[in-house]
Amino acid sequence: MLTVSHLTKTYPNGKRGLIDVGFSIAPGSVTAIIGPSGAGKTTLLRSLNRLLTPEAGEIQLGNQEMRQLPPRALRLVRRQIGMIFQDYNLIEPLSALENVLHGCLGRKSLAAGMLGLYTKEEKKQALTLLEEVGLGDYALQKAGSLSGGQKQRVGIARAMMQAPQVILCDEPIASLDPASTHTVMTLLKDLAIQHDLMVIINLHQVDLAREFADHILGVNAGRIVFDDGPAALSDEALAHIYAAPEEAAYG
Amino acid sequence: MIETDISSQRRAPHPPAAPHAIANPARKTTRILLASLALITLYALATIAPDNVDLGVAGKSFLHNLDLMFLHPHLGQDTLAQLVDALARSIALALLTTLIGAVIAFGLALFTARNLAPAPLATAMRSLMALIRAIPTILWVLVYATVIGLGTEAAVVGLSFHSVAYLVKAFAESFEAVPQEKLDALRVSGARFGLVIRHALWPSVRPSLLSWTFIRFEINFTNAVAVGAAAGTGGIGYYLFMSSAFYFDFQEVGLIVYLVLAFAILLEMIAVALRKHLAKMV
Repeated sequence: MLTVSHLTKTYPNGKRGLIDVGFSIAPGSVTAIIGPSGAGKTTLLRSLNRLLTPEAGEIQLGNQEMRQLPPRALRLVRRQIGMIFQDYNLIEPLSALENVLHGCLGRKSLAAGMLGLYTKEEKKQALTLLEEVGLGDYALQKAGSLSGGQKQRVGIARAMMQAPQVILCDEPIASLDPASTHTVMTLLKDLAIQHDLMVIINLHQVDLAREFADHILGVNAGRIVFDDGPAALSDEALAHIYAAPEEAAYG
Repeated sequence: MIETDISSQRRAPHPPAAPHAIANPARKTTRILLASLALITLYALATIAPDNVDLGVAGKSFLHNLDLMFLHPHLGQDTLAQLVDALARSIALALLTTLIGAVIAFGLALFTARNLAPAPLATAMRSLMALIRAIPTILWVLVYATVIGLGTEAAVVGLSFHSVAYLVKAFAESFEAVPQEKLDALRVSGARFGLVIRHALWPSVRPSLLSWTFIRFEINFTNAVAVGAAAGTGGIGYYLFMSSAFYFDFQEVGLIVYLVLAFAILLEMIAVALRKHLAKMV
């Protein structure tokens, strides 16, 4: 269970990224965050693993409060949270397998990690994950030589390697063609169900949110303006989410 | 010619400008500069007093020396074994100082790259390295020679010192070329800073670090030859200095130059092979 309450983030330039944001997310579900550009979707997502640190509010993962954790404790909680990115952020000169193995570096001791010593189990697990995302045959190929959709699937396998409770996806399909988009979204949905994960996805496409999400958060001007299932996402609700900021403030 | 070139370049972005632009400050500066250079040249030619130099004889003996050096290279005071041994010493000096420099520079570059170190530290490191680089390698060797004494130790320390400053800049810039997000991707999975460096940064920058280090090796070889003569380090530079300035044995000078050239060509061949290999790595 991930519970966020009263989360507020103000940027150094005075711009308010998040205003009193609260919601909760259940395991085994896909949550889509939608809203106009600049509404705070990315700020919200990046606050959840403390890539950004909000100045007020609570982020509760299980029974652990995350917002105020000191670096060492934060590192331990971050193992529970995988993340995938629009630009994949793979290390391109390394093989797909090595990139997936990076997912278990959070659990490694400094010495073993520095020497790049992975256990047999870890290697087996990484291979299994690559097979699970349909890239078993590409394990030894350089990540840089894969297609966009394949890179994103390696990114997903790397996140899964952490054995996480949560996977954060920052615009995961924004650089992909329609076929790859469908593959990646289906994969995320299946993983959420099979591994009882909380998958949280920033999306620009409302129809994808409707098709794949169990839970939709609408963000406008730093506030949550919609928090419900896809069935409740009426045209009115959509208009409200995508309203120009001034209207939303009075809505 | 030069003046018209410059003024036409200046005018290029403003096509409607008048064809005879008057009082163009750049043009004026160029004229003053050219006039002063011409005056200096005339003054120099008028006053160099070539009274004792017979240009015919001088030219002939110059050509004779060139002929001795490059068409009749020959052993003089020293045996070939001695020269090859000296060349090997110079190469060893270059190799050692490059390796020391690269290892230290890697560590320091972590504190100099803006995507890894806090901004004030990065700026301070950058300025310090620029300061060290501004002073030529040979001068650093001489500076250390006053502390340690003329000889090999001063050469090793001085050459390494300048190599560090040079490589820190090159390495830090390679580090900065790695997108912050690629490092963040591992950091937010809970990996320690050291492991992010090892598994995200290192594989991404390895080819460019290798190629910078190799370039520095070439520079250090040149420097190693020079300090052999200037700082009493020995090596091929010392033999070059002795045979030219002490024994006036131009045939041996020629042979030494060919030896150094042969190694330089070998280095270039290695560089080409290395570049091909690195291109495959990326």
